Amino acid sequence: MSALGIRRLAVAVCVTFGLAVLEAAAGPAEIAQIKPRQDKLRDMGGAQKAINDEIKKGRIDWDNTVIPNAQTIKDRSAYLLNWFPKGSGPETGKKTYALPAIWQKNDDFVKLGKAVQGEAAKLNQVALSKDGNALKAQMEALGKACKACHDSYRSPDYEKENEDE
Amino acid sequence: MASAEAGRMESALADSTDLRVWDLPVRLLHWLLVIGIGVCWWTGVHNELEYHLWSGYAILWIVLMRLYWGLVGSSTARFVNFVRGPKAILDYASTLHRRDTPHAHGHNALGAISIILMLSLVLAVVVLGLFAVDVDGLYSGPLSLYVTFKQGRHLAHSHYYWFNILLWVIGLHLAAVIFYFLYKRQNLIGPMIHGKRRVDAAEAADADMMIAPLWRFVIGAVIITAIVYAVSVGFYF
Repeated sequence: MSALGIRRLAVAVCVTFGLAVLEAAAGPAEIAQIKPRQDKLRDMGGAQKAINDEIKKGRIDWDNTVIPNAQTIKDRSAYLLNWFPKGSGPETGKKTYALPAIWQKNDDFVKLGKAVQGEAAKLNQVALSKDGNALKAQMEALGKACKACHDSYRSPDYEKENEDE
Repeated sequence: MASAEAGRMESALADSTDLRVWDLPVRLLHWLLVIGIGVCWWTGVHNELEYHLWSGYAILWIVLMRLYWGLVGSSTARFVNFVRGPKAILDYASTLHRRDTPHAHGHNALGAISIILMLSLVLAVVVLGLFAVDVDGLYSGPLSLYVTFKQGRHLAHSHYYWFNILLWVIGLHLAAVIFYFLYKRQNLIGPMIHGKRRVDAAEAADADMMIAPLWRFVIGAVIITAIVYAVSVGFYF
Protein backbone atom coordinates (compact mmCIF):
# COMPACT_ATOMS: atom_id res chain seq x y z
CA MET A 1 0.00 0.00 0.00
CA SER A 2 2.64 2.51 1.05
CA ALA A 3 5.04 1.43 -1.70
CA LEU A 4 2.25 1.92 -4.21
CA GLY A 5 1.42 5.26 -2.62
CA ILE A 6 5.01 6.46 -3.00
CA ARG A 7 5.13 5.33 -6.60
CA ARG A 8 1.91 7.22 -7.33
CA LEU A 9 3.29 10.28 -5.61
CA ALA A 10 6.45 10.08 -7.73
CA VAL A 11 4.39 9.85 -10.92
CA ALA A 12 2.24 12.77 -9.84
CA VAL A 13 5.30 14.88 -9.08
CA CYS A 14 6.87 14.09 -12.45
CA VAL A 15 3.67 14.88 -14.31
CA THR A 16 3.19 18.14 -12.41
CA PHE A 17 6.73 19.31 -13.09
CA GLY A 18 6.51 18.16 -16.68
CA LEU A 19 3.37 20.23 -17.22
CA ALA A 20 4.90 23.18 -15.39
CA VAL A 21 7.89 23.12 -17.77
CA LEU A 22 5.57 22.93 -20.80
CA GLU A 23 3.52 25.84 -19.54
CA ALA A 24 6.60 27.89 -18.89
CA ALA A 25 7.61 27.32 -22.49
CA ALA A 26 4.25 28.69 -23.68
CA GLY A 27 4.53 31.79 -21.51
CA PRO A 28 2.69 31.93 -18.17
CA ALA A 29 1.55 35.53 -18.59
CA GLU A 30 -0.18 34.71 -21.88
CA ILE A 31 -1.73 31.53 -20.53
CA ALA A 32 -3.00 33.45 -17.53
CA GLN A 33 -5.04 35.62 -19.92
CA ILE A 34 -7.19 32.84 -21.29
CA LYS A 35 -9.45 31.97 -18.40
CA PRO A 36 -10.16 35.53 -17.21
CA ARG A 37 -10.88 36.71 -20.75
CA GLN A 38 -13.35 33.87 -21.23
CA ASP A 39 -15.01 34.77 -17.93
CA LYS A 40 -15.21 38.44 -18.83
CA LEU A 41 -16.61 37.82 -22.29
CA ARG A 42 -19.16 35.49 -20.74
CA ASP A 43 -20.14 38.21 -18.27
CA MET A 44 -20.66 40.55 -21.20
CA GLY A 45 -22.86 37.93 -22.86
CA GLY A 46 -24.81 37.59 -19.62
CA ALA A 47 -25.29 41.36 -19.42
CA GLN A 48 -26.44 41.43 -23.04
CA LYS A 49 -28.92 38.65 -22.33
CA ALA A 50 -30.28 40.49 -19.29
CA ILE A 51 -31.02 43.56 -21.44
CA ASN A 52 -32.49 41.50 -24.28
CA ASP A 53 -34.77 39.70 -21.82
CA GLU A 54 -36.18 43.07 -20.74
CA ILE A 55 -36.84 43.93 -24.39
CA LYS A 56 -38.59 40.59 -24.90
CA LYS A 57 -40.79 41.12 -21.88
CA GLY A 58 -41.87 44.49 -23.23
CA ARG A 59 -41.73 45.93 -19.71
CA ILE A 60 -38.28 47.37 -19.42
CA ASP A 61 -36.75 47.78 -15.97
CA TRP A 62 -34.28 50.57 -16.73
CA ASP A 63 -32.88 51.35 -13.30
CA ASN A 64 -32.33 47.84 -11.96
CA THR A 65 -31.41 45.97 -15.12
CA VAL A 66 -30.70 47.93 -18.28
CA ILE A 67 -28.54 50.75 -16.90
CA PRO A 68 -26.22 48.60 -14.72
CA ASN A 69 -25.79 45.95 -17.42
CA ALA A 70 -25.12 48.55 -20.12
CA GLN A 71 -22.51 50.00 -17.79
CA THR A 72 -20.91 46.55 -17.37
CA ILE A 73 -20.72 46.06 -21.14
CA LYS A 74 -19.20 49.50 -21.67
CA ASP A 75 -16.65 49.07 -18.86
CA ARG A 76 -15.59 45.62 -20.00
CA SER A 77 -15.38 46.57 -23.66
CA ALA A 78 -12.79 49.23 -22.84
CA TYR A 79 -10.34 46.45 -21.93
CA LEU A 80 -11.36 44.08 -24.71
CA LEU A 81 -8.24 44.51 -26.82
CA ASN A 82 -5.93 44.06 -23.83
CA TRP A 83 -7.18 40.51 -23.33
CA PHE A 84 -5.53 39.21 -26.47
CA PRO A 85 -1.77 39.67 -26.10
CA LYS A 86 0.37 38.00 -28.74
CA GLY A 87 1.07 34.42 -27.73
CA SER A 88 -2.24 33.81 -25.93
CA GLY A 89 -3.78 31.79 -28.78
CA PRO A 90 -3.82 28.04 -29.45
CA GLU A 91 0.00 27.95 -29.29
CA THR A 92 -0.32 27.99 -25.49
CA GLY A 93 -1.61 24.42 -25.73
CA LYS A 94 -4.55 25.49 -23.58
CA LYS A 95 -8.13 25.15 -24.65
CA THR A 96 -9.04 28.40 -26.36
CA TYR A 97 -11.28 29.25 -29.27
CA ALA A 98 -9.21 32.31 -30.14
CA LEU A 99 -7.97 31.75 -33.69
CA PRO A 100 -4.39 32.53 -34.82
CA ALA A 101 -5.97 34.96 -37.33
CA ILE A 102 -6.35 37.42 -34.43
CA TRP A 103 -2.60 38.03 -34.54
CA GLN A 104 -2.11 37.41 -38.25
CA LYS A 105 -4.67 40.03 -39.23
CA ASN A 106 -4.32 42.11 -36.11
CA ASP A 107 -5.25 45.43 -37.76
CA ASP A 108 -8.66 44.09 -38.73
CA PHE A 109 -9.13 42.52 -35.31
CA VAL A 110 -8.34 45.81 -33.61
CA LYS A 111 -10.72 47.64 -35.94
CA LEU A 112 -13.57 45.26 -35.04
CA GLY A 113 -12.72 45.52 -31.35
CA LYS A 114 -12.88 49.32 -31.51
CA ALA A 115 -16.24 49.09 -33.30
CA VAL A 116 -17.56 47.10 -30.32
CA GLN A 117 -16.26 49.76 -27.95
CA GLY A 118 -18.11 52.42 -29.95
CA GLU A 119 -21.39 50.50 -29.92
CA ALA A 120 -21.02 49.75 -26.21
CA ALA A 121 -20.54 53.45 -25.44
CA LYS A 122 -23.63 54.29 -27.51
CA LEU A 123 -25.59 51.59 -25.67
CA ASN A 124 -24.69 53.22 -22.39
CA GLN A 125 -26.08 56.56 -23.61
CA VAL A 126 -29.26 54.93 -24.92
CA ALA A 127 -29.76 53.18 -21.57
CA LEU A 128 -29.56 56.52 -19.78
CA SER A 129 -32.06 58.05 -22.25
CA LYS A 130 -34.58 55.25 -21.42
CA ASP A 131 -35.88 55.05 -24.99
CA GLY A 132 -37.21 51.54 -25.64
CA ASN A 133 -37.03 51.60 -29.44
CA ALA A 134 -33.53 53.05 -29.43
CA LEU A 135 -32.48 50.36 -26.96
CA LYS A 136 -33.75 47.61 -29.25
CA ALA A 137 -31.93 49.08 -32.26
CA GLN A 138 -28.71 49.61 -30.30
CA MET A 139 -28.73 46.04 -28.90
CA GLU A 140 -28.94 44.78 -32.48
CA ALA A 141 -26.10 47.03 -33.54
CA LEU A 142 -23.97 45.84 -30.63
CA GLY A 143 -24.83 42.19 -31.26
CA LYS A 144 -23.78 42.56 -34.88
CA ALA A 145 -20.50 44.12 -33.84
CA CYS A 146 -19.85 41.17 -31.49
CA LYS A 147 -20.82 38.69 -34.19
CA ALA A 148 -18.57 40.31 -36.83
CA CYS A 149 -15.54 39.52 -34.72
CA HIS A 150 -16.75 36.08 -33.60
CA ASP A 151 -17.43 35.05 -37.20
CA SER A 152 -13.82 35.65 -38.23
CA TYR A 153 -11.74 35.19 -35.11
CA ARG A 154 -13.44 32.55 -32.97
CA SER A 155 -13.21 28.86 -33.78
CA PRO A 156 -16.53 27.32 -34.92
CA ASP A 157 -15.75 24.49 -32.48
CA TYR A 158 -17.11 26.85 -29.88
CA GLU A 159 -20.62 25.78 -30.84
CA LYS A 160 -19.79 22.10 -30.61
CA GLU A 161 -18.28 21.91 -27.17
CA ASN A 162 -19.40 22.86 -23.73
CA GLU A 163 -17.30 25.69 -22.42
CA ASP A 164 -15.67 25.05 -19.08
CA GLU A 165 -17.39 25.99 -15.86
CA MET B 1 -44.73 -22.47 -55.74
CA ALA B 2 -43.11 -20.97 -58.82
CA SER B 3 -46.28 -21.27 -60.84
CA ALA B 4 -48.33 -19.79 -58.04
CA GLU B 5 -45.93 -16.87 -57.92
CA ALA B 6 -46.14 -16.40 -61.67
CA GLY B 7 -49.91 -16.59 -61.48
CA ARG B 8 -50.04 -13.97 -58.82
CA MET B 9 -47.80 -11.66 -60.80
CA GLU B 10 -49.93 -12.15 -63.86
CA SER B 11 -53.09 -11.30 -62.03
CA ALA B 12 -51.33 -8.35 -60.44
CA LEU B 13 -50.43 -7.02 -63.85
CA ALA B 14 -53.83 -7.72 -65.23
CA ASP B 15 -55.86 -6.50 -62.37
CA SER B 16 -54.13 -3.85 -60.33
CA THR B 17 -55.33 -0.53 -59.12
CA ASP B 18 -54.00 2.65 -57.55
CA LEU B 19 -55.00 3.08 -53.95
CA ARG B 20 -54.44 6.17 -51.86
CA VAL B 21 -52.00 5.60 -49.04
CA TRP B 22 -50.85 9.04 -47.84
CA ASP B 23 -53.24 11.97 -47.72
CA LEU B 24 -52.23 15.51 -48.67
CA PRO B 25 -51.46 16.74 -45.12
CA VAL B 26 -49.10 13.80 -44.44
CA ARG B 27 -47.18 14.38 -47.67
CA LEU B 28 -47.14 18.14 -47.25
CA LEU B 29 -45.90 17.94 -43.66
CA HIS B 30 -43.28 15.35 -44.61
CA TRP B 31 -41.70 17.44 -47.36
CA LEU B 32 -42.04 20.70 -45.44
CA LEU B 33 -40.15 19.02 -42.61
CA VAL B 34 -37.41 17.96 -45.03
CA ILE B 35 -37.06 21.56 -46.25
CA GLY B 36 -37.33 22.96 -42.73
CA ILE B 37 -34.61 20.70 -41.34
CA GLY B 38 -32.39 21.52 -44.30
CA VAL B 39 -32.79 25.25 -43.75
CA CYS B 40 -32.25 24.93 -39.99
CA TRP B 41 -29.15 22.84 -40.52
CA TRP B 42 -27.58 25.29 -42.95
CA THR B 43 -28.47 28.44 -41.00
CA GLY B 44 -27.34 26.81 -37.75
CA VAL B 45 -23.96 25.77 -39.07
CA HIS B 46 -23.41 29.17 -40.71
CA ASN B 47 -24.52 31.11 -37.63
CA GLU B 48 -27.36 32.81 -39.53
CA LEU B 49 -29.50 32.76 -36.44
CA GLU B 50 -32.12 35.24 -37.59
CA TYR B 51 -33.28 32.80 -40.26
CA HIS B 52 -32.55 29.85 -37.99
CA LEU B 53 -35.18 31.16 -35.59
CA TRP B 54 -37.78 31.47 -38.36
CA SER B 55 -37.13 28.01 -39.73
CA GLY B 56 -37.19 26.68 -36.17
CA TYR B 57 -40.68 28.09 -35.64
CA ALA B 58 -41.71 26.51 -38.94
CA ILE B 59 -40.47 23.13 -37.74
CA LEU B 60 -42.27 23.52 -34.42
CA TRP B 61 -45.46 24.17 -36.38
CA ILE B 62 -44.90 21.18 -38.66
CA VAL B 63 -44.19 18.75 -35.82
CA LEU B 64 -47.16 19.92 -33.75
CA MET B 65 -49.37 19.60 -36.84
CA ARG B 66 -48.10 16.08 -37.48
CA LEU B 67 -48.79 15.08 -33.86
CA TYR B 68 -52.30 16.57 -34.15
CA TRP B 69 -52.84 14.80 -37.48
CA GLY B 70 -51.68 11.58 -35.81
CA LEU B 71 -54.74 11.87 -33.57
CA VAL B 72 -57.47 13.12 -35.91
CA GLY B 73 -56.06 12.62 -39.43
CA SER B 74 -56.61 10.00 -42.09
CA SER B 75 -56.32 6.35 -41.09
CA THR B 76 -52.72 5.85 -42.25
CA ALA B 77 -51.66 9.03 -40.41
CA ARG B 78 -53.03 7.98 -37.02
CA PHE B 79 -50.71 6.67 -34.34
CA VAL B 80 -53.28 4.14 -33.10
CA ASN B 81 -53.23 2.51 -36.52
CA PHE B 82 -49.49 2.12 -36.98
CA VAL B 83 -47.80 2.07 -33.57
CA ARG B 84 -47.58 -1.61 -32.62
CA GLY B 85 -46.43 -3.63 -29.65
CA PRO B 86 -43.09 -5.45 -29.35
CA LYS B 87 -44.46 -8.74 -30.71
CA ALA B 88 -45.69 -7.25 -33.96
CA ILE B 89 -42.41 -5.38 -34.33
CA LEU B 90 -40.34 -8.54 -33.77
CA ASP B 91 -42.55 -10.54 -36.12
CA TYR B 92 -42.09 -7.94 -38.81
CA ALA B 93 -38.35 -7.66 -38.18
CA SER B 94 -37.94 -11.42 -38.58
CA THR B 95 -39.29 -11.21 -42.15
CA LEU B 96 -37.14 -8.23 -43.09
CA HIS B 97 -34.64 -10.34 -45.06
CA ARG B 98 -37.38 -11.83 -47.25
CA ARG B 99 -38.41 -10.29 -50.55
CA ASP B 100 -41.86 -11.82 -50.89
CA THR B 101 -43.45 -10.22 -47.85
CA PRO B 102 -46.58 -8.18 -48.46
CA HIS B 103 -46.15 -4.45 -48.79
CA ALA B 104 -47.66 -2.68 -45.78
CA HIS B 105 -50.36 -0.18 -46.64
CA GLY B 106 -49.11 2.67 -44.50
CA HIS B 107 -46.27 2.44 -41.99
CA ASN B 108 -44.97 -1.03 -41.21
CA ALA B 109 -44.33 -2.05 -37.59
CA LEU B 110 -40.61 -1.29 -37.76
CA GLY B 111 -41.02 1.97 -39.67
CA ALA B 112 -43.37 3.15 -36.93
CA ILE B 113 -40.48 3.13 -34.46
CA SER B 114 -38.45 5.30 -36.76
CA ILE B 115 -41.35 7.74 -37.20
CA ILE B 116 -41.86 8.05 -33.43
CA LEU B 117 -38.11 8.38 -32.88
CA MET B 118 -37.71 11.08 -35.51
CA LEU B 119 -40.74 13.08 -34.38
CA SER B 120 -39.60 12.95 -30.73
CA LEU B 121 -36.05 13.94 -31.62
CA VAL B 122 -37.16 16.82 -33.81
CA LEU B 123 -39.46 18.05 -31.06
CA ALA B 124 -36.72 17.68 -28.43
CA VAL B 125 -34.20 19.59 -30.56
CA VAL B 126 -36.73 22.37 -31.20
CA VAL B 127 -37.63 22.66 -27.52
CA LEU B 128 -33.93 22.85 -26.55
CA GLY B 129 -33.53 25.53 -29.20
CA LEU B 130 -36.39 27.57 -27.73
CA PHE B 131 -34.40 27.93 -24.50
CA ALA B 132 -30.96 28.18 -26.09
CA VAL B 133 -28.91 31.32 -25.62
CA ASP B 134 -26.88 32.66 -28.51
CA VAL B 135 -23.48 33.87 -27.40
CA ASP B 136 -23.77 37.12 -29.33
CA GLY B 137 -27.01 37.96 -27.56
CA LEU B 138 -28.59 38.67 -30.95
CA TYR B 139 -30.99 35.84 -31.60
CA SER B 140 -31.55 33.72 -28.52
CA GLY B 141 -34.48 31.33 -28.32
CA PRO B 142 -37.82 32.97 -27.45
CA LEU B 143 -38.04 31.17 -24.10
CA SER B 144 -34.43 31.88 -23.13
CA LEU B 145 -35.58 34.62 -20.77
CA TYR B 146 -36.74 31.85 -18.42
CA VAL B 147 -33.18 30.49 -17.98
CA THR B 148 -29.85 32.05 -16.98
CA PHE B 149 -27.12 32.84 -19.49
CA LYS B 150 -25.09 29.82 -18.40
CA GLN B 151 -28.05 27.42 -18.48
CA GLY B 152 -29.01 28.80 -21.87
CA ARG B 153 -25.50 28.19 -23.22
CA HIS B 154 -25.61 24.61 -21.98
CA LEU B 155 -29.00 24.16 -23.64
CA ALA B 156 -27.55 25.55 -26.87
CA HIS B 157 -24.88 22.86 -26.75
CA SER B 158 -27.48 20.16 -26.03
CA HIS B 159 -29.47 21.54 -28.95
CA TYR B 160 -26.43 20.92 -31.16
CA TYR B 161 -25.69 17.50 -29.64
CA TRP B 162 -29.20 16.12 -30.10
CA PHE B 163 -29.40 17.51 -33.61
CA ASN B 164 -26.43 15.31 -34.49
CA ILE B 165 -28.24 12.29 -33.06
CA LEU B 166 -31.24 13.26 -35.17
CA LEU B 167 -29.04 13.34 -38.28
CA TRP B 168 -28.00 9.74 -37.62
CA VAL B 169 -31.62 8.65 -37.30
CA ILE B 170 -32.48 10.48 -40.51
CA GLY B 171 -29.57 8.65 -42.12
CA LEU B 172 -31.06 5.37 -40.94
CA HIS B 173 -34.44 6.38 -42.38
CA LEU B 174 -32.85 7.10 -45.78
CA ALA B 175 -30.91 3.82 -45.63
CA ALA B 176 -34.17 1.97 -44.98
CA VAL B 177 -35.86 3.64 -47.96
CA ILE B 178 -32.94 2.65 -50.20
CA PHE B 179 -32.99 -0.91 -48.79
CA TYR B 180 -36.68 -1.27 -49.64
CA PHE B 181 -36.09 0.12 -53.10
CA LEU B 182 -33.08 -2.01 -54.01
CA TYR B 183 -33.66 -5.21 -52.08
CA LYS B 184 -37.40 -5.46 -51.66
CA ARG B 185 -38.24 -3.70 -54.93
CA GLN B 186 -40.68 -1.45 -53.13
CA ASN B 187 -40.68 2.21 -54.05
CA LEU B 188 -41.55 4.19 -50.93
CA ILE B 189 -40.63 7.58 -52.34
CA GLY B 190 -43.24 7.74 -55.11
CA PRO B 191 -46.23 7.25 -52.78
CA MET B 192 -44.86 9.99 -50.47
CA ILE B 193 -44.96 12.32 -53.49
CA HIS B 194 -48.21 11.46 -55.28
CA GLY B 195 -49.97 9.70 -52.40
CA LYS B 196 -50.92 6.54 -54.32
CA ARG B 197 -49.70 2.99 -54.35
CA ARG B 198 -50.27 0.31 -56.98
CA VAL B 199 -51.89 -2.75 -55.42
CA ASP B 200 -53.41 -5.89 -56.92
CA ALA B 201 -57.13 -6.38 -56.73
CA ALA B 202 -56.92 -9.06 -54.06
CA GLU B 203 -55.10 -6.74 -51.70
CA ALA B 204 -57.17 -3.71 -52.58
CA ALA B 205 -60.16 -4.89 -50.57
CA ASP B 206 -58.43 -4.81 -47.17
CA ALA B 207 -56.10 -1.89 -47.83
CA ASP B 208 -58.69 0.80 -47.90
CA MET B 209 -58.00 4.12 -46.33
CA MET B 210 -60.22 6.51 -44.42
CA ILE B 211 -59.54 10.08 -45.56
CA ALA B 212 -59.95 12.82 -42.98
CA PRO B 213 -61.73 16.00 -44.12
CA LEU B 214 -59.47 18.97 -44.82
CA TRP B 215 -61.39 21.31 -42.52
CA ARG B 216 -59.95 19.37 -39.60
CA PHE B 217 -56.49 20.25 -40.86
CA VAL B 218 -57.49 23.91 -41.12
CA ILE B 219 -58.83 24.02 -37.56
CA GLY B 220 -55.63 22.45 -36.25
CA ALA B 221 -53.54 24.84 -38.32
CA VAL B 222 -55.27 27.86 -36.77
CA ILE B 223 -54.84 26.60 -33.19
CA ILE B 224 -51.25 25.50 -33.69
CA THR B 225 -50.30 28.75 -35.42
CA ALA B 226 -51.60 30.57 -32.33
CA ILE B 227 -49.55 28.29 -30.05
CA VAL B 228 -46.36 28.78 -32.08
CA TYR B 229 -46.93 32.54 -32.08
CA ALA B 230 -47.33 32.53 -28.28
CA VAL B 231 -44.10 30.55 -27.94
CA SER B 232 -42.26 32.87 -30.33
CA VAL B 233 -42.99 35.89 -28.12
CA GLY B 234 -42.05 33.97 -24.97
CA PHE B 235 -45.66 34.13 -23.72
CA TYR B 236 -45.29 37.89 -23.22
CA PHE B 237 -48.09 39.68 -25.01
